[in-house]
Amino acid sequence: MTPPIPILRLADIHKSYAGQPVLKGVSLEIERGDIKVIIGPSGSGKSTLLHCINFLVSFEKGRVWLWGKEIDPANKPELYAYRQKVGMIFQDFNLFDHLTAIDNIQIGLVRVKKIAKRAARERALAELARVGLSEHAHKYPAELSGGQKQRVSIARALAMDPEVMLLDEPTSALDPELIGEVHAVIRDLAAGGMTMALVTHEIGFASALANEILFMENGVILEQGPPATILSQAKLDRTREFCAKIAHLHTGGRKPV
Amino acid sequence: MHSGLAAVVEGLPYVLQGIGVTLTVVGGALAMGLAFGLLLAVVQVYGRTWLRRLAAVYVWFFRGIPLLVLLFLFYFGVLAALEVELSPFMVSIIVLGLISSAYQAQILRGAILSVPDGQMKAARAIGMSDLRAITFIILPQALRLAIPGWSNEYTVIMKDSAVTYALGVAELMARTNHVASRTYQHLWLYLMVGFIYLLLTWLGTQALRILEERVAISGYTR
Repeated sequence: MTPPIPILRLADIHKSYAGQPVLKGVSLEIERGDIKVIIGPSGSGKSTLLHCINFLVSFEKGRVWLWGKEIDPANKPELYAYRQKVGMIFQDFNLFDHLTAIDNIQIGLVRVKKIAKRAARERALAELARVGLSEHAHKYPAELSGGQKQRVSIARALAMDPEVMLLDEPTSALDPELIGEVHAVIRDLAAGGMTMALVTHEIGFASALANEILFMENGVILEQGPPATILSQAKLDRTREFCAKIAHLHTGGRKPV
Repeated sequence: MHSGLAAVVEGLPYVLQGIGVTLTVVGGALAMGLAFGLLLAVVQVYGRTWLRRLAAVYVWFFRGIPLLVLLFLFYFGVLAALEVELSPFMVSIIVLGLISSAYQAQILRGAILSVPDGQMKAARAIGMSDLRAITFIILPQALRLAIPGWSNEYTVIMKDSAVTYALGVAELMARTNHVASRTYQHLWLYLMVGFIYLLLTWLGTQALRILEERVAISGYTR
């Protein structure tokens, strides 16, 4: 039996900022329904890796395939079509500040997918309902809480019918009491079978969803495996040390500054 | 012999006939300046290196030469060399428009740069082309931020439009000169036209302030 074609495949991604290497050859395969959680200390390249996947930052070396078809970022129509298939959630939401919640979702449908305004409006409302924000449709980002903003940004990404979602620390900019509502939305996505790559420090939340945890440090994936293995029986001391540190952090230990 | 007040009463209707010309020159120059300035600003922020350099040279040129020199250069120099005929009125709009575009480019470039990076990233992430992202995401925000600077540009062009009298454009200043040379009541007449300009700049900046409030994004402060 031939192995299934992964939705996303990355091979040997190298990226440096001003001569300083950030990714030193990262390869990754994501299959349909996978939920890969990427953990690691800050500066390890997790966020850069997600940004490389949909070419939001350029990289010196490496290749990316969607359903076995290699993406050429120089081919603009192909790149734009690819980016629609790969939904991106940012740490700081990046909602369009001049547009209401509903228009944030609608603009991609109208201006990118070229859907007629009325149909786009209906779809946008449906996506807002899905993240539980129907009654906030006409509020501007500045009038929403951080948790609500992140939910709108998830709805905006979902409206483009992505096949994979990349989530870059979706709750790290939120006040603690707002994290739960965003986690609930992500849990719903997982339950619906959405394929995801999630960068997070919320290890408890992540391990309940993930089918694989990847530990990154210094621009490489040091170790990867099922949550149970990585969290309690990691091969490398470094992985165990890191997991112990963030587990302590999220079980009410005193937050190190 | 005219008294000062009589000269003003007699001259005012004649001078005010030039208000349409002044407003057309100012409006035309600002509109042209906005169109070119927008293009220059987008090129300066997002363009290739050689295009950015070209835009920078353009801005440097039109910001560095006096208006009067440029008016004479175009009207008496360039038009003659090209054997093109254009009215002083058209030349005034074009020259003021070119100068204004250089200044508006600077205003708009600053406004574009103050829109956070994340906005462009998010637009790209949903599959928007850069051109669409600039049109639908960046510029709507940048233009709002540009209104205060733009208001300043309006007052500058309004005042500079008086210099076009030198080409014989029958605007407020030229008409005031006619009345003054006939009545010799310079003090009163130039005070009068000064007040007309004061009123026009004040009305314009007030209108732009109202516009700024009306297009403000609810809850948004930066």
